[in-house]
Amino acid sequence: MAAIKVMIVDDSPFSRTLIADSLRDGGYDVVGETDSLEEAIDIYNKTKPDVITMDIAMPDHDGFEVSRALLHNDPNAKIILSSSMKDEETEMEAKRIGISGYVQKPVEANILFQVIDKVLSPDNLYQDLLNSGLETFKEALSQNVTRMAKTPVSFKDIGAAMDEPYTSSGVTSVIGIIGQYTGTLIMDLSAETADNIAQAILHRPPKSNDETLAMVSELANIIGGRACSMLNMKEKALGLRVSPPSMFHGNSAELVSPSVKIEHAVAKTDYGEIFLGVGFKKGSTLWM
Amino acid sequence: MDVNIINPVLAAFKEVLPQIGIQNVEKKGIALSSSVFTYTGVLLNIAVVGSIKGVILIGMEEEHAKKFASKMMMGMELAEFDELAQSAISEMGNMVCANACTQFSKVDVSGLDISPPTLLMSKESGKVTIPVPKTVVIDLLCDDIPVKLYVGLM
Repeated sequence: MAAIKVMIVDDSPFSRTLIADSLRDGGYDVVGETDSLEEAIDIYNKTKPDVITMDIAMPDHDGFEVSRALLHNDPNAKIILSSSMKDEETEMEAKRIGISGYVQKPVEANILFQVIDKVLSPDNLYQDLLNSGLETFKEALSQNVTRMAKTPVSFKDIGAAMDEPYTSSGVTSVIGIIGQYTGTLIMDLSAETADNIAQAILHRPPKSNDETLAMVSELANIIGGRACSMLNMKEKALGLRVSPPSMFHGNSAELVSPSVKIEHAVAKTDYGEIFLGVGFKKGSTLWM
Repeated sequence: MDVNIINPVLAAFKEVLPQIGIQNVEKKGIALSSSVFTYTGVLLNIAVVGSIKGVILIGMEEEHAKKFASKMMMGMELAEFDELAQSAISEMGNMVCANACTQFSKVDVSGLDISPPTLLMSKESGKVTIPVPKTVVIDLLCDDIPVKLYVGLM
């Protein structure tokens, strides 16, 4: 098997030498070393390293900027931050950018090898979430719509990728999901279905569009919250939380979610159809 | 109006945009709106969760969004607001909002995280209802491209 290729981005020749020596001793192939953003991209494109180690403090561009540029160049680049700082905000920043792992300086060889190993191995937690995510959101929708609006729910088009752009039916709730992985929940229905469901829940016609909208927003919030807590119960490490919904209405907009692949199912109820789309994205960081 | 809510987001625009091909970010106006407003063209939705929560939206007319994306791609001609342009605008929003979280941490609001962006496109006027009572609407001019920034955080 070919040796794992590593590129080192660090402004200190001393640190670069230390990391390169440890890596070579461990059987890794050090394909390049640099302290500049432009050169990092150039070396990356020429040598296609499996992993990049990245210092934070550098003279022209910091490690976050270089990481952003590398991930913009190739979203699949695997970056391990090496820094003496280890605080919550550094961790959050790294996670938001999409950095894959972290080692604290001075870098201990065996810890670096372990992190490289983890960064390159398949992420089972993420795979499980992708496998069970939509199913759990379907369950939450089914339970809550049945309970609140007293209608049976069945599904069609289960697990199909959302057409991009997706054309909304008129009333769209968009919920952000935050946690070990981030994601998006889209619930979409026609104004007529929304009115019918509001009437079923309220046992009277809704007084205004605002009342219908508030009801749909609440329903989406409950479905998102319930589904995430069901997923968290199965796997605590997910730590999923939802944002309250943004509601888009009054027209038929086109929707895209360029950084997330949305899978969907369509719920059939006595009151009309409800589109349910959900997708997750990796932004996880391994901290050792 | 709580400037502590707006300033980190504006600071993020001013810090990130020059890194992606837009040199000048000017604030042209600021207004307080309710939780409901209308839009046409392109609207990017990014949720914020943490000790403050809510949503940041970035709106542009489609023509302007095309111009913005073109600048991000070093002047590449764009006949349509296509998949590549949609991805560029989403990436811009993602970078700005991630940076806004960092700016918030500098004023001791830490531990914020953002959702992946969702982009809406509509030629006719549509309505948005966001989950906080007030929206701060800021008119920006980014290298002569008008951009509307909606900050609904609490």
